[in-house]
Amino acid sequence: MSPSLAKRLLRDLTAIIVVGIFMFPLFWWGLTSFKPTSAIFNKDEVVFFDFEPTLVNYEVVLLGKSRAELAIESGNTFGVGGASSYDSRQTIIDSIIVAVCSTALTVFAGVTAAYALSRMKFRGRQGYLNWILSQRFVPPIAIIVPVVFMFHFLGLRDTLLGLIFIHTLINVPLAVLLMKSFFDDVPVEIDEAAMLDGATRFQIFRKVVLPMVTGGVAATAVLCFIFSWTEFLLSLFLTSSIRTLPVKISTFVTSTGSEWGFISALGTSAIVPSFIFILLVQKQLVRGLTLGSLKE
Amino acid sequence: MAERMEISIAGDGSMRRPGRLNLRHILSSEHPLPWLFPVTAVLIAFGVYPLLYALWLSLHKRNPVTRLSVFDPDWNWVKILGDERVWNAIGNTYLYTGIAIFVELVLGLAIALLLDSDRKGYGVLRALMTLPLVVPPAVTGMMFLLMLDGSFGVLSRTLYALGLWSPAYPILATSSTALFGILLADIWQWTPFMVLIMMAGLRALPKEPFEAAAIDGASATQAFFRLTLPMLSRIIALAVLIRGVDLFRIYDYIKVMTEGGPGTATETLTAYAGTIYFKNADFPYASTIALLTLILLLITSAMFIKIFKVRF
Repeated sequence: MSPSLAKRLLRDLTAIIVVGIFMFPLFWWGLTSFKPTSAIFNKDEVVFFDFEPTLVNYEVVLLGKSRAELAIESGNTFGVGGASSYDSRQTIIDSIIVAVCSTALTVFAGVTAAYALSRMKFRGRQGYLNWILSQRFVPPIAIIVPVVFMFHFLGLRDTLLGLIFIHTLINVPLAVLLMKSFFDDVPVEIDEAAMLDGATRFQIFRKVVLPMVTGGVAATAVLCFIFSWTEFLLSLFLTSSIRTLPVKISTFVTSTGSEWGFISALGTSAIVPSFIFILLVQKQLVRGLTLGSLKE
Repeated sequence: MAERMEISIAGDGSMRRPGRLNLRHILSSEHPLPWLFPVTAVLIAFGVYPLLYALWLSLHKRNPVTRLSVFDPDWNWVKILGDERVWNAIGNTYLYTGIAIFVELVLGLAIALLLDSDRKGYGVLRALMTLPLVVPPAVTGMMFLLMLDGSFGVLSRTLYALGLWSPAYPILATSSTALFGILLADIWQWTPFMVLIMMAGLRALPKEPFEAAAIDGASATQAFFRLTLPMLSRIIALAVLIRGVDLFRIYDYIKVMTEGGPGTATETLTAYAGTIYFKNADFPYASTIALLTLILLLITSAMFIKIFKVRF
């Protein structure tokens, strides 16, 4: 009995240590966001808990306090000047608008297409599916230059609408394939029965099948939201004044030094909503990450 | 273009009388066209059209002052073959993709085996393990940039303290190690992806072969290599393909951590295309490099799909 107990304990301990190692960067990141500058940039020793926790970093990025104001409050005005470019309130609002609108658009387009691909028989169906899948293989960099030109021409460059369209583009293949797998789980007999009762396709979709896949729609929406929320390359190329969160954070790194306090405060704020969402869709995560081809 | 394509896809199968398009039927909900229209429109307008446009750009020589383009396919494509930075970037892209896939797969499988238990508390550990997946990659890059900072980074400092590293060679500022610093961020973020998929694979395995093997006196190691691994092969191939496609276009970590430096030590194809775009403003050439990335990715993944018989 005791060797197996020891083995069990060893396994528990290993599991906790491994997960602990993976949690450390998050812990350190969160911790840094509450540190004063002196503790972050301490070159003599690594500061773990030996510091006065402060909300200054959050006040700057989330409440828009300028560094000059803070300096006057604290009485230490050494080396402080210039306007605050760290106020990120507008960035957060823009990011939310882009993520919510592109998610809505993606889910609408994805769900309707997925229903047809799951339920209707037509020639070229498999080809169409493969085409959707192949879009997932195209690296965003391959289309970015023409998209920049195109958006420039259409007046979509550096606009929220442009970002919404392009985030919809990158999420649509995922939404179609994922939703198709959810529709495929619903027996076709249900459609057929409704059809015998004289319902049209749209009525069947709206009243019968869609209510049966709401969990799938929610999971798809969450994943689309997260991918839009975290997207970096396309937003970076397409915007210069409007910025999404990941792009905004990257601008805090300057040649004269990085404002790690502000970076980690905004970074932590950007992570928290994703964490809440992802814990809600744990069950559908594997299916989502494999484009609907692997079910748990 | 969008409509023509859809009609040819959908019309052939569902048309009752060949040769005549019944418009009312096509526009009703009984026909796939209205259902597929939004997705097709988005993909063609913002996906297919830009790709063709990129091809057009790469085949033309563009005068940056007059902005006039002249057809000259050699201009960009011959330049790319003679560009040493492109070859360097190709090497870095494959090196990065290869190492990341290998480490993430092995670690992912090991951690999946470790966490695959019904005992109390393991559910929480598994949930925690998924958190790195949803951190914006640009933020992950920042996290590791902070931890790997040569003078105050917690990881660097720990390595110095343990005598494993010399402060004279900051990890991200040394040519030979910078790529590994970036890989650390990638591995931290995406090993959980492999853990999740492998865990789902392990859960789906049938019990009987393992019971039979245990009766025959097979050790746990034998069972793993003779049973678990072969039965997981389809899922492993699928996971490697999905991960590989994303790894091949790696950009976010490199952009925020090293910008391809020091020198060109961490410059991958996408990073190089980005540099050409932002620093040189040579848009057709940036497009050509991006197309090369796509071509190499398609060839590599087609070979992979063929060899390992991946099915979606």
